[in-house]
Amino acid sequence: MSIVCACLLPGSPLPYVRRDNPPWGALATAMEQAGEIVAACEPETLIVYSTQWFAVLDQLWLTRPRMQGLHVDENWHEYGELPFDFAIDLELAEAVIPATQAVEVRSKGVDYDGFPVDTGTIVANAFLNSADRYRLVVASNNLYHDWSTTHALGRIAAAEADRRARRVAVVGVGGLSGAFFRGAIDIAEDRIVRAEDDAWNRRVLDLIVAGDGGKLLEAVPAYAAEARVDMGFKHLAFILGALGDRYAGAEVHGYGPLYGAGGAVVTFRP
Amino acid sequence: MSQGEIVAGFLAPHPPHLVYGENPPQNEPRSQGGWEPLRWAYERARRSLDELKPDVLLVHSPHWITQQGHHFLGVPHLRGKSVDPIFPNLFRYTFELDVDVELAEACAAEGAALGLTTKLMRNPHFRVDYGTITTLHMMRPQWDIPVVGLSANNSPYYLTTEEGLEEMDVLGQATRRAIEASGKRAVLLASNTLCHYHFSKEPEPPEDMSKEHPENMAGYLWDMRIIELLRAGRVRETFDILPQFIEEAFAEVKSGAFTWMFAAMGYPELAGELHGYGTVIGTGNAVMEWNLVKAGLARAA
Repeated sequence: MSIVCACLLPGSPLPYVRRDNPPWGALATAMEQAGEIVAACEPETLIVYSTQWFAVLDQLWLTRPRMQGLHVDENWHEYGELPFDFAIDLELAEAVIPATQAVEVRSKGVDYDGFPVDTGTIVANAFLNSADRYRLVVASNNLYHDWSTTHALGRIAAAEADRRARRVAVVGVGGLSGAFFRGAIDIAEDRIVRAEDDAWNRRVLDLIVAGDGGKLLEAVPAYAAEARVDMGFKHLAFILGALGDRYAGAEVHGYGPLYGAGGAVVTFRP
Repeated sequence: MSQGEIVAGFLAPHPPHLVYGENPPQNEPRSQGGWEPLRWAYERARRSLDELKPDVLLVHSPHWITQQGHHFLGVPHLRGKSVDPIFPNLFRYTFELDVDVELAEACAAEGAALGLTTKLMRNPHFRVDYGTITTLHMMRPQWDIPVVGLSANNSPYYLTTEEGLEEMDVLGQATRRAIEASGKRAVLLASNTLCHYHFSKEPEPPEDMSKEHPENMAGYLWDMRIIELLRAGRVRETFDILPQFIEEAFAEVKSGAFTWMFAAMGYPELAGELHGYGTVIGTGNAVMEWNLVKAGLARAA
């Protein structure tokens, strides 16, 4: 199997643009730790699935050899720009596109100057690939795809990597509980907005670490509904699909609030 | 300074396909046309807008989604290239627009005074979303009228539909107060589609009109019911059934622009003029106008 590791990362820009704020700085440090673990696994390619790249027609994959630009987050524009500059693993991306037909998903490549790469992908790349060591395969989040379709996409991407003996790290970018503060807060006092969401997040992170796939999958539907998990936790579906639902271990490097929502940094050993 | 006023409101949906079909020089992709009835509807709306001679256009777009408050473009001049993340094959538009920052600040201040969380977007590198650009291009391709751009706070999706739309109602009231204090003639643009059920696959080429039709009959019937009510000026009744319409037709008016516009205009029981209706990848789109000058509710220029 060519998956050398996997990560679950939050897609919020806050740890990246305001790491001086203690609650968010802790997540930034955790993402750097994840970056060190990824580096130690020596991947050639990161396969990134970000909940923040929305698609509604077809499944989209970046196919421009190099993605460069400056992004301003739609909500957190006051914290400045998010520059990005990374290479795409074109061979692998172009192999995945026809392969998704096997699960009746039509995929398309995206190769346009000025394409607005989403905040989650940019933040993940910034923490994991700041030295531009790896190429990326980046998948959109089709809003109409469910857990099982997303799981299948992860599985197909991993299979195509395996076919090419490519060493890859799989990165699911998205949040945990989705309730957030709607108005201004003292950001130094940020916390998970609802205690019951905090309890759900911790329970699910414990299940991930315990590696009990059955209990985890059993818990996800209720967790996703009750804690309003970012996009139904499809970013975990992509990871688990790529890992074949099995992993040797998982470690939580950080967990905390992102303006009331939940975010965690988790690495998985295949 | 005389009191400012809203001179008209338009339901002005934003499928990027309309810009793609028109082939303006600002948009990179080229098409063989397509969606002509809707584009002709916009031609009529453009003529009417021209006669209204507004000082400012305010547009509320569901594709600038914000979680913490209602945001307003707050940079005097914005330019760049806006590539639609959903339809990048159709919309790669080089935009350049002037923002009425003074009015945007006033709208934000009035919103805050009414209890809303509001924020000015001051970053000059901000990419204006394709919903804002498409609506503005289709209404005024000359780009010679200053703009106030409003984000769509996700409250109708985060809270209940009713709670979210109540917030959009307050935003509309705030907008009206700010316009009145500004002394300006303002046109409101609600960038919303009606029924939002759509196809999951794109035809090749995208402008193949032999593939274009309502995605489902129930949604089409809902659109006709809403349009008939609006053409008859039965605005209160429309808003009474709006949550049901949203629920059953997956209507994009849920995102708030339609409610914001009518709240700002004071929900006049005024017959709307339908410039045209058409589908885009199966969604229902109506270009409609509520001309407050013609109705005697605002002064002529």
